[in-house]
Amino acid sequence: MRFPAAVVRSFVVTLVAAFFLVGEGRAQVYEGQTLVEAELLADVSAVVPGQPFQVGLRLQMAPGWHTYWKYAGDAGLPTRIDWSLPEGFEASDIVWPLPLGILEAGDIQVYAYKDEVLLLTTITPPADLSVNGDPINLAAAASWLVCEEICIPGSAQLGLSLPVAAASEPANTEIFETFTARVPSSEPPSWPLEWRREGGNWVGVANPGTGIKKLDFFPLPAEGQLAGHPVVAPEGDTFRITISADGPLAGVLAVTDADGERGWTVSTGDAAPAVTAFVGGSASPTVFVALLYGLLGGLILNLMPCVLPVISLKIFGFVRQAAESPRRILMHGLAFSSGIFVWFLGLGAVVAVLRARGQEATWAFQFQDPVFNLVIATIVFVFALNMFGVFEITLPGKATGSMSDLGAKEGYGGSFFQGMFATLLATPCTGPFLGIALGFAFTQPPLVIMAMFASVALGMALPYLVLSARPGWMKHLPKPGPWMERLKQFMGFPLLATLLWLLYIVAQQTSVETMIWSAAFLLGIGLACWIYGTFCGYSQSKRTQTIALAGITASVVMGVFFLQTAFAKKSEDGIAWVDFSQASVSALLAEGKPVFIDFTADWCITCKYNEKTALDRPAVAAMIREKGIVPVKADWTSADPEITAALKEFGRVGVPFYVLYPAGRAGEPVTFPEFITEQMVLDAFAKAG
Amino acid sequence: MKITQLFATAAGLAVSASLAFAAPQTGQPAPEFTLKDSSGTEHSLSDFKGKTVVLEWYNFGCPFVVKHYDSKNMQTLQKEATDDSVVWLSIVSSAPGKQGHLTPDEAEKRKADEGINSTAILIDEDGTVGKLYNAKTTPEMFVINAEGTLVYQGAIDDKPTPDAASLEGAKNYVRAALASVKAGTPVAEDTTKPYGCSVKY
Repeated sequence: MRFPAAVVRSFVVTLVAAFFLVGEGRAQVYEGQTLVEAELLADVSAVVPGQPFQVGLRLQMAPGWHTYWKYAGDAGLPTRIDWSLPEGFEASDIVWPLPLGILEAGDIQVYAYKDEVLLLTTITPPADLSVNGDPINLAAAASWLVCEEICIPGSAQLGLSLPVAAASEPANTEIFETFTARVPSSEPPSWPLEWRREGGNWVGVANPGTGIKKLDFFPLPAEGQLAGHPVVAPEGDTFRITISADGPLAGVLAVTDADGERGWTVSTGDAAPAVTAFVGGSASPTVFVALLYGLLGGLILNLMPCVLPVISLKIFGFVRQAAESPRRILMHGLAFSSGIFVWFLGLGAVVAVLRARGQEATWAFQFQDPVFNLVIATIVFVFALNMFGVFEITLPGKATGSMSDLGAKEGYGGSFFQGMFATLLATPCTGPFLGIALGFAFTQPPLVIMAMFASVALGMALPYLVLSARPGWMKHLPKPGPWMERLKQFMGFPLLATLLWLLYIVAQQTSVETMIWSAAFLLGIGLACWIYGTFCGYSQSKRTQTIALAGITASVVMGVFFLQTAFAKKSEDGIAWVDFSQASVSALLAEGKPVFIDFTADWCITCKYNEKTALDRPAVAAMIREKGIVPVKADWTSADPEITAALKEFGRVGVPFYVLYPAGRAGEPVTFPEFITEQMVLDAFAKAG
Repeated sequence: MKITQLFATAAGLAVSASLAFAAPQTGQPAPEFTLKDSSGTEHSLSDFKGKTVVLEWYNFGCPFVVKHYDSKNMQTLQKEATDDSVVWLSIVSSAPGKQGHLTPDEAEKRKADEGINSTAILIDEDGTVGKLYNAKTTPEMFVINAEGTLVYQGAIDDKPTPDAASLEGAKNYVRAALASVKAGTPVAEDTTKPYGCSVKY
């Protein structure tokens, strides 16, 4: 009698399975595809009473699909195993091998396993287990979520039967060795790893030595703890890990070198700075850095052209009034400094109130909003121009007048108002240092804001305090001169750097195109500032000023026009551009389809102008649909040899270039001039169908 | 004065942007958006000023979402909320061709078939609003109070599994947040880790 081949095979498979102590496998099938195969494996041939052994849940995933780690990340679900064990047996928690960090579309970070994983559990049998008894049945209900593009939950009832014996042999050694090696060590790594707090982030510096190909950090936030996405950047021989989280954060650090990947369980610890007592314990070292900047900014204020010449005059004034009494000179110095403090603390209070109100109103500081970023960019730009001397800010004569009247009074009260007056005079020259400190202040609680302004005041008052205590030191003061103007101009460059950064953010949030139009808007604003600075001074005639006003209006209107272009909503029924490839174009032409190719690049202003005015129009989009024209975009922003070759075929070396292949007449392409109009395009398209 | 202030804050604000550039924060104003619903009507968040608004990220094919809809858990909560004049917006950020994507017609049909009690199903197929809110999962939930402040973001409940049996005894964070908003008390748990499938951008 012959057995059918399938029966023989299954018999052999069962035998082999039994031999290798493989449990019963279960497959998760979804729409005909096996997504996950699950089975239990043991690392021993038999259970020995009292001797712990390992059982692994082996999950084999279909290509492209993944199941999740202990901490799934932004989405997903960790695999679960619920054990049903004979009496007296104990199971450990799952021991998880190192996962993969997978970043999905939309900045969704997950930690998962692809292809195959063995999730390990240590099973401890009771010591008084009878050796001559029946085999032991270990049962587990496993459940998991398997995802590719979509997610499907899976589960299986798994079993594993093992004999009980006085001694056992290792089993399934290869797979257990592979995955045990990938289990992170519970010991900290032997090489240096230091964590520190920077704002809301943990920053770890790891120095695992040479020959490291890759270092990963997988966070393991506690229940209810929120953690951000880790960023690992090599820095020379070391690696810098940055991740946002409140409180101490645990995680796994993995290093890949020539020997493969190994991991360690680590924790950031508290690493709290020793100075947390400041401001209700909420201060981070960055607060102190910002306070230091504030102090520095205050000091620099003294070097501004509108302040430095005043210092000596003031101190001489104190000396004269105090009739050489050192104590009274100091008192004047203190009164003057209080003037500075009162002024800045008043300013601080205004900022604090603004900030508080901003939180209530909807115009809060949302840097996610590109429009808001552009507003800030505009302010930064205008002030950079001011620093460069393109225009001056003149304070209203009345205000300065009444202030100086008060300041002209003698006595300590006079000194006090002089302090406020000097600060007012300094305001048009406020340096970027100050700005940075204040900007930081805006994100802080009111108490920190006040501290920030106080540190600026201290910085500005410092020379007066020191000099009124030691008037003799006045000879060490730097002499006023043209260098002050140069210093002011130089301070414009950090502002421009800030502007670059802001525009970069705008480009990230929107597009390079929006960023360029935003820059064009700034150009208009810049022109307006120049006209204001050059033709609107007091010395200019009424007529000049009127013409200048018209010029300013025109520049601003031009700028706003560009701005509108920048943020113009793309029409909803836009053109569904297809990315260029020679193969796909050839295929479309072979089918006899009409094809329009737009050779363009982000850096090509003419291209962008044409697209805005002649292509990205509702009528053109409608025509494309009506005629069934396939719109293809050949984006030459980065050098693309295929596009270069295609351009060459038409004897072109650059963009813009437009070509239309009418339906069924691939051999008679129609080319367009460099500047195109909507009408031109519509006429050509009308004949193409 | 004004100039000084602007100047002082401008450069620094830019710098602080790097500190603040992140997802919407609970306790801060909820970002404004405008989307079309399944019937083609445009809705802006600001239209609902003065009312409590719930945002629900929705992907009908996600097993975690299925848990809440097949059990009618979500529809019940939607009904409770909308009966209490809360505005409930279900947002579909799945890209065309990806799981969960709905055309307006499909959304209408699903609304009828599933008995969805949202005020509107909003179509966000380019994912703009999803990314604006940094929505990572379905179902991910946001509660915005009458002043437009984000008062809750995170999971719908404390049982991150697609298993319907978990609904029994689950703590529904959204229900709790809505009750706090109604009572005028602060939301006790105002930020939790959302769970579910990734949003299919």
